[in-house]
Amino acid sequence: MSVQGKRLPSGISRIGDAALPLAIMFALLVVWEAAVHLLAIKSYVLPAPTAIIKELVASGPTIILPQLKATLIETLAGYGLAVAVAAVLSILILYSSAFRRGVLPLIIASQTVPVITMAPVLVIWFGYNSLPRIIITALVAFFPLTISTVTGLRSLEPQFIDFFRSLNATPSQIFFKLRLPVALPNIFAGLKVATTLAVIGATISEWVGASQGIGYLIAQDTAQLNTTRVFASLTVLGISGMALFGLVGLVERLSMPWIHARPSLAWLRGLRSGSRPDGAALRSY
Amino acid sequence: MDGARLQISGLYCGYATPDRGIVPTLDGIDLSLNRNEFVSIIGPSGCGKSTLFNVIAGLLSPGSGEVALDGKEIVGKPGHVAYMMQRDLLLPWRTVLENVVLGPELAGRPMVEARNRALALLRRFGLEGYENAYPSALSGGMRQRAALLRTVLCDRSVVLLDEPFGALDALTRATMHEWLLGIQREFQQTMILITHDPDEAVYLSDRVYVATPRPMRFAGIVPIDLAYDRTSDVTMTPEFAHHKRQVLGLLRGDKGASDALH
Repeated sequence: MSVQGKRLPSGISRIGDAALPLAIMFALLVVWEAAVHLLAIKSYVLPAPTAIIKELVASGPTIILPQLKATLIETLAGYGLAVAVAAVLSILILYSSAFRRGVLPLIIASQTVPVITMAPVLVIWFGYNSLPRIIITALVAFFPLTISTVTGLRSLEPQFIDFFRSLNATPSQIFFKLRLPVALPNIFAGLKVATTLAVIGATISEWVGASQGIGYLIAQDTAQLNTTRVFASLTVLGISGMALFGLVGLVERLSMPWIHARPSLAWLRGLRSGSRPDGAALRSY
Repeated sequence: MDGARLQISGLYCGYATPDRGIVPTLDGIDLSLNRNEFVSIIGPSGCGKSTLFNVIAGLLSPGSGEVALDGKEIVGKPGHVAYMMQRDLLLPWRTVLENVVLGPELAGRPMVEARNRALALLRRFGLEGYENAYPSALSGGMRQRAALLRTVLCDRSVVLLDEPFGALDALTRATMHEWLLGIQREFQQTMILITHDPDEAVYLSDRVYVATPRPMRFAGIVPIDLAYDRTSDVTMTPEFAHHKRQVLGLLRGDKGASDALH
């Protein structure tokens, strides 16, 4: 008996899903191109898409990509730091009520400070190197990741814990074999959001006290009204951000193979507290 | 040696409320279970049956009373009995095979052996060919059978079943009853079943404990005098009807209806 046959042809539907947004994007680019030419918009105000592509070809390999390297290193280092901090904080929040009551409110309150504005201070503290920018990147990215991780880890239906306890499971078995798998969708949602935030954090932090990086290049080009190259840099940044996002998405698919057998979050029904269906509904899916 | 495998005596349990003081949930529960016996506890919804199971499973400590397994005190000590809860609680990220070997895995027993044993039993549990399927691909009946296989593979001497068929349709349920009885006989399992279905209780059991509404105590015990090897045909016999009448009478609080008071 083939169970595999029940899978949806997700590959085919994925191509279909991508076609519409791509078509809309193409249409927008055409309108943009036409508007620039018809309204005679100056290139330092808004360059045409074709001009941006030309600029990408001309200065992409020689000027933009070398700067991208510095930004990517900061992004990845900051991202890694954010993941480590979020992991530690999530565990503390999950298992320590003292931390939850005493420190968590302070962390939440600290999020009202626009972290980017701390960049000059961090430069004063850590000097003109990439460290302050890595810290800014981590500070921007860690919080949403922590929140979604904790949400996932705490979403478990208590009956599953009772069941594991009835099997005499240890706390670490309950964590690794139960809480963590249930939390994975939230954790990956947080990891994806954090990639885009990390790119933003790294780029913006390069506006202050940096001598390299895409953010630095954008700041220089803006000062010289080289708007076309600013847009070319933004395009490169966008593609890098999407690549990181896609990479995390790939890891997500690989680490949750059961999702393919069930191409929705239906498997979470009944597993999580707060959304508990009645038994009949649970068994009918 | 009296042969009693599970001996529960004088179990009291309650929870504290701010306005009403201690609200009792279990009010003096005595129950004894011999090797390879099948007993049912039947009672109205919310009467505290699940509380009783949580106490036996060691998840909840009672106010007072004793639970002994093979003469050994097990109050507040989980891991001594296998507990199959109302919902199948299969882990959606594990395949059927990975789900059913959870007990040996958590106990740190050799996995190759556990998997081989599970594979050998899949056919008996109607799951052949589904070992690598995820639970989402299974029907309700199959999910319950997988959950029961997982329970059997825990290798505990006593199995607690908390309304395992409550969510199944009547037809699937009848098939599952016959099958469960076969499993219980074949694997020499000692089982306690919680149910609120009198037919289910009488058909499966050697003895039926009838519980009163909250706080829970036993209104009476009905010994079921039906053939050891019974099929669903037995549900049509006068003996079956007689036992069912006894159970229903006790459930209604009509003590005169039963000749099996204690």
